[in-house]
Amino acid sequence: MITKEVISPPGAPNETFVINLGPQHPATHGVLRVKIVMDGEYVVRAEPICGYIHRMQEKMGENRTYAQFLPNTSRIDYLSAMTYTHGFVGAVERAAKLQVPPRAEYIRVITSEMNRISSHLVWWGAFLLDLGGFTPLLYAFDDREKILDLLEAITGSRLTYSYYRIGGLYNDVDDDFIKGTREFIAQMRPRLKMYRSLVTDNIILRKRLIEIGPISKEMCRKYGATGPVIRGSGIPYDVRKVEPYSAYPEFDFLVPTCEEGDSMARYLVRMEEMVQSLRIIEQALDKLPSGPVMAEKVPRVLKLPAGDYCYAVEAARGRFAVRIVSDNKEIPYRVKLRTPSLSNLSLFEEASAGMLLPDALALMGSLDLVIPDIDR
Amino acid sequence: MEAPPDNAQLLSDCSPYVKFAKLDEMLALGRANSLWPLTFGLACCAIEMMAAGASRFDLSRFGAEVFRPSPRQADLMIVAGTINKKMATAVKTLYDQMPEPKWVIAMGNCAISGGPFVFPGQYAVVEGVEKLFPVDVFIPGCPPRPEALIEGLLKLEEKLTGKRRWPVVKSE
Amino acid sequence: MEPAPTPPPSPALPNALAHLPIPFQAVDYAAKGYHLDATVNPDQVVDVVSLLDKEGLALDTITGVDWMAQGQMEVVYDFFHLSKALRVVVRTRVPRDNPEVPTIQKVFPGANWHERETHDFFGIRFLGHPNLTPFLLPEDATFHPLRKDFVS
Ligand code: SF4
Repeated sequence: MITKEVISPPGAPNETFVINLGPQHPATHGVLRVKIVMDGEYVVRAEPICGYIHRMQEKMGENRTYAQFLPNTSRIDYLSAMTYTHGFVGAVERAAKLQVPPRAEYIRVITSEMNRISSHLVWWGAFLLDLGGFTPLLYAFDDREKILDLLEAITGSRLTYSYYRIGGLYNDVDDDFIKGTREFIAQMRPRLKMYRSLVTDNIILRKRLIEIGPISKEMCRKYGATGPVIRGSGIPYDVRKVEPYSAYPEFDFLVPTCEEGDSMARYLVRMEEMVQSLRIIEQALDKLPSGPVMAEKVPRVLKLPAGDYCYAVEAARGRFAVRIVSDNKEIPYRVKLRTPSLSNLSLFEEASAGMLLPDALALMGSLDLVIPDIDR
Repeated sequence: MEAPPDNAQLLSDCSPYVKFAKLDEMLALGRANSLWPLTFGLACCAIEMMAAGASRFDLSRFGAEVFRPSPRQADLMIVAGTINKKMATAVKTLYDQMPEPKWVIAMGNCAISGGPFVFPGQYAVVEGVEKLFPVDVFIPGCPPRPEALIEGLLKLEEKLTGKRRWPVVKSE
Repeated sequence: MEPAPTPPPSPALPNALAHLPIPFQAVDYAAKGYHLDATVNPDQVVDVVSLLDKEGLALDTITGVDWMAQGQMEVVYDFFHLSKALRVVVRTRVPRDNPEVPTIQKVFPGANWHERETHDFFGIRFLGHPNLTPFLLPEDATFHPLRKDFVS
């Protein structure tokens, strides 16, 4: 592990220079900009500069009705669109005291978990691309397309689903979906095993990730990091377990954690999460109740009682929470979106100090950033 | 100098083996079949652009898979996503850094018009990339499917060569 | 326009942080999505947050609400517990024409970005913040778009 002392050995000239990573840079996965003060090859201070894809999501929440704002929620973190929509409709349902039918909750769990797998697959491919391996991306997108086919058949969209509606779902799943999902699970399990031998056990990957970018438990807490980042640091925090929502209490699944807190730990946590997601989907398919998928009597014009309402979900990147402040009108008074990527990235400046630049990029990749999720 | 008398005969003899064309047409054909896009993703649409380049859709069938991270090596900019005012100058710089000849594809509603993020009194997004520099092909959708991006590339090829290389899929 | 009415104190609901000198009110989680709610004065914020820090809570987010009709700005601090279902909301209100709150950046370094964002959106100044420059808005932005009287 390279420590800060190495940066300036005694007697060395103390010269630094600034490099600008982004806003267009292949390693930042979009339009993040990082201003890095370098001492030779070592990072002295890396300051992320955000806002290059700020899209006024919170302002838009204040000038349209709840139903009209719903499509926006799938465009915040587009890789995990289902869970984000879930957070928003969950908050509205909580405020309006709507009872969502059990079948709808089960299908929400199934589709959210499928979305989580597809999101982790994109992360996996892109992260390994950052580290210099192109092939895994092709495998990842191959599997991901299978998920997208299934989701597209029921939602009509490949990426920005808006499938959950206030009070239930847009439509019911059919037998083809159930059959196809079971086939997918059967195919995916051996694939994940193959990825283990193909990539995870690769010595080059291990050398690039082990002991790189350690993040301590305390740092996670102070910065509010969640999701695979906090679990990779050994804290089993998962909204699905700590503040159970939807139908999650009815399923048996583990929250994978790793004590090390380095980039490899976060990698392993995400790989194991895909296994657990497959388990949840399988159980949900087995127990899928019958019945309607939409609550009865959802008013066409929804007015929430005055007050503020929160709802948190476990998105692929961590805790996503919505706070709606209502003043008993058709449009919200304030919509606050608490997104996981912002908190996860905020510790980057502290965590990356003293690292080699390529290692800092490995750390950044292991945080799994989606930039519009930071900027909203 | 006067052409040799049997020139016409020579031309017709070798026509099965040698093609004569204007240099412009040859260049256009070469460019159309090896577009090098800039690796440049802005938002959601960029994921579909990645999907177009990855396993199933395989952009390399059309010679456009050489994504270049540096604008100086690219001749095609696929604007995939929302451009906001903070980013606009950077996008413009990237466009200016690309060597001529260069083309632009506006992928998705955001790049066309600001898409879902336009409302009266909005303060952040640029309402369409055409406000910054000229666009050759527009691909609507939110996000457009990878097939749509491929169709957009074929349209751009058509613009370059004047001919369509692949048959058009007809809806039934 | 009415502010969000704080729910009446209900003795039936448990207050997991009753031992702290913070005026918490227990809230029905199923109806609201959080467990404890406290409104404090702006100058108490740092003390309250330090107490929560010692309890082992993590910073969720910081945000503002513009109550224009009352001429007030509300700053809302959200916290969550890492191992049990405990969401804590701390609020404070400041006058709208001079919105100033001390920063909690020293207690929770993660607050840095949240406070910058809140400053961007509402113009609330966090006293003692080391770098209160635009975060999501362009570097030279002087407007605060989530104020209710904002026109672009
Ligand atoms: S057009 Fe739609 S999918 Fe594409 S970047 Fe804009 S919001 Fe995202």
